[in-house]
Amino acid sequence: MKQDDLVIYEEQIEQIEKTLRRLIKDAQAKCVLLVDKDGHLITRQGFTQSLDTTALAALLAGSFASTREIARLVGEPEFSVLFHQGKKDHIHISLVGERTILAVIFDDRTTIGMVRLYAKEVSESLNQVLSSEKPEENRTESENRPETDSEYAASVETRLDDIFSDKT
Amino acid sequence: MASINYAFKEISCKIVYYGPGLSGKTTNLQYVHQKIPPQTRGELISLATDQDRTLYFDFLPVNIGKVHGFSTKFQLYTVPGQVYYNATRKLVLRGVDGLVFVADSQKSKMDENLESYQNLVENLLEYGYNLNKMPLVLQYNKRDLTPIIPVEELEKALNPQGLPFYEAVAVRGAGVFDTLKCISKLVLDQAKRKQLFPKREIEIKEEETHPAGVSQIPLGEQMTVVADSSVPVESQPTSTVITLVEEKPAPIPEEIIPQPLIALEKTQPGVELKIGEITGGNQMKAEMPVTKAGPTLISWSAGKRTKPKGFFLWRFFKQLFKR
Repeated sequence: MKQDDLVIYEEQIEQIEKTLRRLIKDAQAKCVLLVDKDGHLITRQGFTQSLDTTALAALLAGSFASTREIARLVGEPEFSVLFHQGKKDHIHISLVGERTILAVIFDDRTTIGMVRLYAKEVSESLNQVLSSEKPEENRTESENRPETDSEYAASVETRLDDIFSDKT
Repeated sequence: MASINYAFKEISCKIVYYGPGLSGKTTNLQYVHQKIPPQTRGELISLATDQDRTLYFDFLPVNIGKVHGFSTKFQLYTVPGQVYYNATRKLVLRGVDGLVFVADSQKSKMDENLESYQNLVENLLEYGYNLNKMPLVLQYNKRDLTPIIPVEELEKALNPQGLPFYEAVAVRGAGVFDTLKCISKLVLDQAKRKQLFPKREIEIKEEETHPAGVSQIPLGEQMTVVADSSVPVESQPTSTVITLVEEKPAPIPEEIIPQPLIALEKTQPGVELKIGEITGGNQMKAEMPVTKAGPTLISWSAGKRTKPKGFFLWRFFKQLFKR
């Protein structure tokens, strides 16, 4: 069950965002979020400016995790789709591959059926992108890599000292 | 595990505050939320019961800004401490990068501390995580109360490994930031180490045995060398020269590193390999004693390769010329 760090590369993000934009257009949704199961936001598309997407990502992952546990308790391997109905806005959450969650927020301009249909469709292509061959290891040698250990450590230290201090 | 996004140049790490009920995990987060600059943090979200007891988790995102080009974010979580909520507590641990164990220093709480610690080990194991490899900091909270357990006693019970620990009074903020700074640093160190110097895990494959005198041992493979039984014991060599081969050297151009550093990390206890010359950039000779009593197990891994000064400048020009 142990997994490595989730690493997302630029090429992948481009493709993912393209797919998500298509989903928004086809399903006429307000916005979509792609979140990993640990609660980190991978990317988002649509009207997300007014949303606290970081918190949303964490809560969506939490909500999905608890649903999954409920599934296990009732003898189901996993509920792969979750739907919350509100007065105006609704949210459709579905599993993409092994470790990511796709959340679609939509209102009454469209229907749950449409969202479900297109979400299912893009899930497959998203999964393909996410599980596609990761670029070679030397990609981790980004230009922004710290030059030496000590330099990095020092820069982290000053950052942390600045922010995590008792001064108000 | 940490999420690394090269497209947005973002690293996001998850730190979980663990500990028995009412030990002050949420208080830690509340203090952090209150004191750090508002632009560096998001809202503190608490999924709590009506009595303000954590039901699922508290969540506080903190963005410490750019560290060497990467926007670095921490997601601080707490777990529900009550024994009753183990189902949700376990879920919070998914993908954790670092842990703070908040222990209650009050004399009456020792058993709860121990029980919670044990529970942490068990829950981590269910995810396949090993607590010994996980960045962990201990916080002995509520040091202002009486009667409390002396630090030495807490250390003995909860921290035999000698990990970093802090005394704290979370309601007043004492020790809160020290703890957070320490765990953040450990987590970033690990994230960086994993990305910069991806360690090639040594897996014990199907155990193969090779006669003494076997020469090439690829990186990451473990093998057992046994004395050749056809040769009489007296005339067997006492040592054999082996070559350690790194098939795929670390992704740094060889031409600028005259001598890659290959380090032996692991051999069977009691067996010492004498490191010899380095040949051809990715090979190293080593002399290994052959024990007549039984098989000798050896495995090795590559050491860190350090980049020489001017590496980035060199590469910048190289890329410039390519265009």
